[in-house]
Amino acid sequence: MLLLHGETRLLYIAPAEGARDGRFPNRSSQKKKHRGRSDQFMNRADRESGAARGIEAVLLANRDELLRFLAVRGAGDAAEDVFQELWVNIAGSSTGPIAQPLSYLYRAANNLMLDRYRSAQAARMREQAWGEYDRDRADPSAEQSLISREELARVDDTINRLGERAAAAFRCFRLEGMSQRDIAARLGVSLSTVEADLRKVYAALARLKGQIDE
Amino acid sequence: MSDGMASQVEEQAIDWMIRQRDPAFDEWQDFTAWLDLSPDHAAVYDRIASLDTDLEHLSAPAEEIAAPRSPLLASRRTWIGGAMAAMLVGAISFSLFGSDSTRIETNAGEQRSVALADGSRIEINGGTVIELDKDRPRFARLESGEAMFHVIHRAGDPFTVEAGEARLVDLGTSFNVVRRRRTLNVAVSEGLVAYNPERENLHIKAGYGIEAGAEGGRPKVQAVDPLSIGGWRKGQLVYNGASIEQVAEDLGRTAGLSIAVSPDVAALPFRGALLVSDDKQRVIDDLTSLAGIRAEKQTEGWLLTR
Repeated sequence: MLLLHGETRLLYIAPAEGARDGRFPNRSSQKKKHRGRSDQFMNRADRESGAARGIEAVLLANRDELLRFLAVRGAGDAAEDVFQELWVNIAGSSTGPIAQPLSYLYRAANNLMLDRYRSAQAARMREQAWGEYDRDRADPSAEQSLISREELARVDDTINRLGERAAAAFRCFRLEGMSQRDIAARLGVSLSTVEADLRKVYAALARLKGQIDE
Repeated sequence: MSDGMASQVEEQAIDWMIRQRDPAFDEWQDFTAWLDLSPDHAAVYDRIASLDTDLEHLSAPAEEIAAPRSPLLASRRTWIGGAMAAMLVGAISFSLFGSDSTRIETNAGEQRSVALADGSRIEINGGTVIELDKDRPRFARLESGEAMFHVIHRAGDPFTVEAGEARLVDLGTSFNVVRRRRTLNVAVSEGLVAYNPERENLHIKAGYGIEAGAEGGRPKVQAVDPLSIGGWRKGQLVYNGASIEQVAEDLGRTAGLSIAVSPDVAALPFRGALLVSDDKQRVIDDLTSLAGIRAEKQTEGWLLTR
């Protein structure tokens, strides 16, 4: 199937993916839809109530605080633009009630900045590899891995070399998503031991990443 | 990152990142204050958080071995519901197979994702046959059907996809390939792909696609919307002038619909978007109303006529 640019009619729109943890899984593919929506946003916001309206109200009420966060988080002068993008994402996502709306928005803002960083990194990597690559057309998806399978094997190796307990604590934390408290209970060690193990593993991985990047 | 100061910042960034993995983390104002201390902090944090994101691709060894050899049928509702990410990611481990080549065959309406040893990924649509070769880790053959390739670039070791007579050589990229009965379509969403480097040597940039006839010849180049490339992965098929015959073939592959096409409508151009859903009759109704044709229900599937 060749999907052509230009006149297309969308019969329906696929069910929007819920924004888990303030992350928008399909952000790049949904951009188009959102662009149209944001234009009419003000009218729509007046009419709508409920969870989506609520989170937008929180976004606007804390605009200055979030702008300051985005600025120091690396957006600098572009903080306004990123805020706009955040707003569009929030308006386009359907979520249930959110217990800590401001925390949720901070997390979404933080993830958005990380996505931007990773997109820029991916573009840089490709550019280094292929001088002829047309930068303007780059639309790297944020989900893209910046690390190869071979590098992942080195990561595995590095983790294993830090000892069985540290490796187990890290895997429980990062791959199984367990809380530090639960990990401490499972491994029968103190919470501070788990903390120290996790820091140790991440520090070793940061060193390895530094070597790989050189 | 060798001096003491820098590594102290790194430790702090790691600390923040670890604490933020807790869904209940709410010390964002303190985090802002830390970032504000030095412009370097955001950069170091980005590096650490990005590294953490990459670790998602780590998997427990047991999971890799558990790659099923027989096709796995995912319900259509599951993958249309945006659950593609949760779909099977079968890491094909070549040592599990006796022969040097691995054949992956999907049933109509079934989608699979395969992770290759180099970190590249192939998303495979239904009704598709792909062959991988143990001795050539940077090679895949598309026997028939459709797949989206996400290729990790390696300098001096390009990834090659063979589709019939055509060879596609990636230059670090994501692209969708459909091998239909009569045509080959390639659409590039990211990066650069070379089509038949030793013959036409046509470079396809992101945002462009080509259509080549089965008998060869210079392919037609067309602009493509990069956001809709590989739309089948979300159950969305978008067309701007493809023939009804091609659309029917795509629906067979993507949704498992059995559609015969009468010769008088086969070549009609189709414009519009179809959303594949469990309600097969509705997909057919959308197609016929948009195309201005009729569908006759048959014992198995439908027949499209004037």
